[in-house]
Amino acid sequence: MTHRCGGKDGRIVIEDDWPGYSLDLFTYPEHYCGDLQSVYIPHGVIMDRTERLARNIMDDLGDHDIVILCVLKGGYKFCADLVEFIKALSRNSRKSLPMRVDFIRLKSYLNDQSTASLHIVGEEDLSFLRGKNVLIVEAIVDTGKTMKALLKHVEAFEPKMVKVAGLLVKRVSSGVGSFPDYVGFEIPNRFVVGYALDYNERFRDLHHICVISEQGKTKYKI
Amino acid sequence: MVRNGARRKSGKSDCPTARGRGVQLGISDEEQGYDLDLFCIPKHYVNDLERVYIPHGLILDRTERLAREIMCDMGGHHIVALCVLKGGYKFFADLLDYIKALNRNSDRSIPMTVDFIRLKSYCNDQSTGEIKVIGGDDLSTLTGKNVLIVEDIIDTGKTMKTLLQLLKRYNPKMVKVASLLVKRTPRSVGYRPDFVGFEVPDKFVVGYALDYNEYFRDLNHICVISESGKEKYKA
Repeated sequence: MTHRCGGKDGRIVIEDDWPGYSLDLFTYPEHYCGDLQSVYIPHGVIMDRTERLARNIMDDLGDHDIVILCVLKGGYKFCADLVEFIKALSRNSRKSLPMRVDFIRLKSYLNDQSTASLHIVGEEDLSFLRGKNVLIVEAIVDTGKTMKALLKHVEAFEPKMVKVAGLLVKRVSSGVGSFPDYVGFEIPNRFVVGYALDYNERFRDLHHICVISEQGKTKYKI
Repeated sequence: MVRNGARRKSGKSDCPTARGRGVQLGISDEEQGYDLDLFCIPKHYVNDLERVYIPHGLILDRTERLAREIMCDMGGHHIVALCVLKGGYKFFADLLDYIKALNRNSDRSIPMTVDFIRLKSYCNDQSTGEIKVIGGDDLSTLTGKNVLIVEDIIDTGKTMKTLLQLLKRYNPKMVKVASLLVKRTPRSVGYRPDFVGFEVPDKFVVGYALDYNEYFRDLNHICVISESGKEKYKA
């Protein structure tokens, strides 16, 4: 892995040729034996990077009330961990970030392909965002189309300000990009699973971010 | 704090943790909790809380044990973990993290998929107990599966009873409920979840995702709210 130099606009850049770590160097659930190719981003690294994003967010938004909008289902782990780190900072530093957490469920992948349409499952009424500082927390930004559509939907409810935190952002040549304000890792266009990111609902119960194997893709295909 | 509550009859005895199952951590009516100055509290809540009732670390340690008991009971078949938002989400995340840790460190491992639902009462009149499930996948995905419902607190038990009736229609293989807290209240309809973290008196507690008008979800200990807190965050 390589890393661009720090600072709040930095992100950890993972090069195209990074193969990931061998599975034998880490632990993972027995039931995924054969379904994974490599460990792409170990859980501990995700946590350490998330801890830093929390600090960046605190530096920017500390002492303002924010509403965290967690994008389910994939965003749930990143959101839970990010919020934990922000809470730790809130109780241990002079600044404090009062937060409310809310959830929105989006569906946009079929097998391993992102679709363009934004499909909100369940409650669409986001009027509780009116006049608020909103931080959208998403696991992965791929083509950027979903995020763009979501931003449009959120902005219609007239929040005071909207920022986006994305754990992973794909480096895609189409460059539709609506780059999040806070980025954990910039990754090549590979289909990754784990840390709540799924392949047809599988792999959400895996704590590292991994690359799925061909066997895995076939086994859990719809 | 009081340690053991009533010991219920446990089922399987082949599992090493069976002898502990059914025991819950009971907190007595007289329990006062801890002074706020003994722990770290977010600056913005310092005047809104009375006491720390259940420290975060204790919640985690208890949850770790529940994870093991769940593995014992439900292991061996695909589990659908159903999170009841919004209050259930912290407990859900931490419980699943412990189950995942067991999965990757032992010979037994349960594939788990997750889902998130919100429950809405049909009307403000709570005595009807009717609920609507919003936001989850099609409930037919539960057919033939072991379902683990994860909730933050069971009060009267009416909501959970109603939810269980509703889910029965989809023929899951097994449905179990894990609740972090169960209230000791005369208004209880007698429902007991399968896995209980703490049995608590009928006090209004906040924190660890339990809210008061959407506030305090971002507090990691379970605390008793103060009078000024109640006023400040009144609806």
